[in-house]
Amino acid sequence: MPAFTAPESGEVSDSDLVKRCQAGDTHAFDALVNRYRGKVYAMTYHMIQNETEAWDLAQEAFIKAWRAMPNFKLDSAFYTWLYRITHNVTYDWLRKKKIQGDGEFDDSHTDHRVAAGAEAVARHEPAPDTALKNAELGARIREAIAKLSPEHKQVILLREVEGLAYEEIAEIIPCTLGTVMSRLFYARKKLQEMLKDTYENAF
Amino acid sequence: MKTPSEDHDLIRFLDGEMSNTERASFEARMAADSMLNSEVNMMQRMSADLRTHLPAEMPVPYADFFNSQIQVRIAQEVPVTLPAARSLWFDWLRIPTLATAAAAVAIGGFMIVQNQNQPAGNSIVHSIYVPNPSVQARSFHSDEAQAMVLILDGVEAMPSDRQMVSFHIQRTETDQEMATTTLFDVSGQVVAVVAKDSRNQPRLLSATPRG
Repeated sequence: MPAFTAPESGEVSDSDLVKRCQAGDTHAFDALVNRYRGKVYAMTYHMIQNETEAWDLAQEAFIKAWRAMPNFKLDSAFYTWLYRITHNVTYDWLRKKKIQGDGEFDDSHTDHRVAAGAEAVARHEPAPDTALKNAELGARIREAIAKLSPEHKQVILLREVEGLAYEEIAEIIPCTLGTVMSRLFYARKKLQEMLKDTYENAF
Repeated sequence: MKTPSEDHDLIRFLDGEMSNTERASFEARMAADSMLNSEVNMMQRMSADLRTHLPAEMPVPYADFFNSQIQVRIAQEVPVTLPAARSLWFDWLRIPTLATAAAAVAIGGFMIVQNQNQPAGNSIVHSIYVPNPSVQARSFHSDEAQAMVLILDGVEAMPSDRQMVSFHIQRTETDQEMATTTLFDVSGQVVAVVAKDSRNQPRLLSATPRG
């Protein structure tokens, strides 16, 4: 199930904070930002793998959420709704970037945060220790994710990172369940191809 | 060659979206097909690694600044474009959206029933009419300020170069012939004269600036 953050006991619920926001309470919105900024930032970061842009897009998602707050009917969980906004913001950004001529999605367009020394390890040589091996695997996974199209990146992150059900993914994108499954299949196949030597050799 | 349905089966098996019957059937296929079995195993390892290396939550750099920037941005949200600044202090009341606020204040003022035996500020607002649905108006009595406070949500921030004044409407007079309403303060001075324009919207005709 999705990694939604349910308010801990004693905390004000999301729906109460939303209602306060709808009455114009910016402090209530600040509380929602505190509660979900880490998740929103993680999603934007995984999608575009650029710290500065991800930070800006995460902010943009919250600001769009504030603007749309009067229209939010609480007919879904706040986080699902916020997530949809975050994905629209990030997806639009990726598509604009593609239209503007960047074309392919590869790691030359991103500035990964890779553990020190990880990139110095030759691709087919075993890493000297487990930590470095993990850092290298993480770097390769991020590289592979960066090379996916926005559509494939989107479904793989929603499923693998967020643990959303197919129905929830279909609602967020939006698309049919069949499209979700097809995109997941092809996204995984592409990742599998890109990471094949990683799994066959060092790991 | 695999069909889309078989591809979906693989995905649904990996994601735990199959029923018990479907799962048992797929596991039987895996047992009979070493290539399928190996593909499933690799994808399962890959999924586990994706979850390990792509956390669902990450610390936001400069988190306090992140929040404060959002607060600044939402405070700056302006629903309409303001026209160029004018010289008269009350001209902001002529800006269409802000005129709504003026209307709310003025009409709220019309509804105030002043109890002469009560200290200033103990007015009662019976109802507030706001013509613009994007503006939300509510009122409450502030003991601290000894005043009835009218809150208008959805109105853009007042221009920073305008000197703000507070109104305390003691009474109002309506001139049926002129179709105007005059608002008086506690000292009996005229605060504002309001009429309706050709679109039946409240329009400020005159106001007395306060020092």
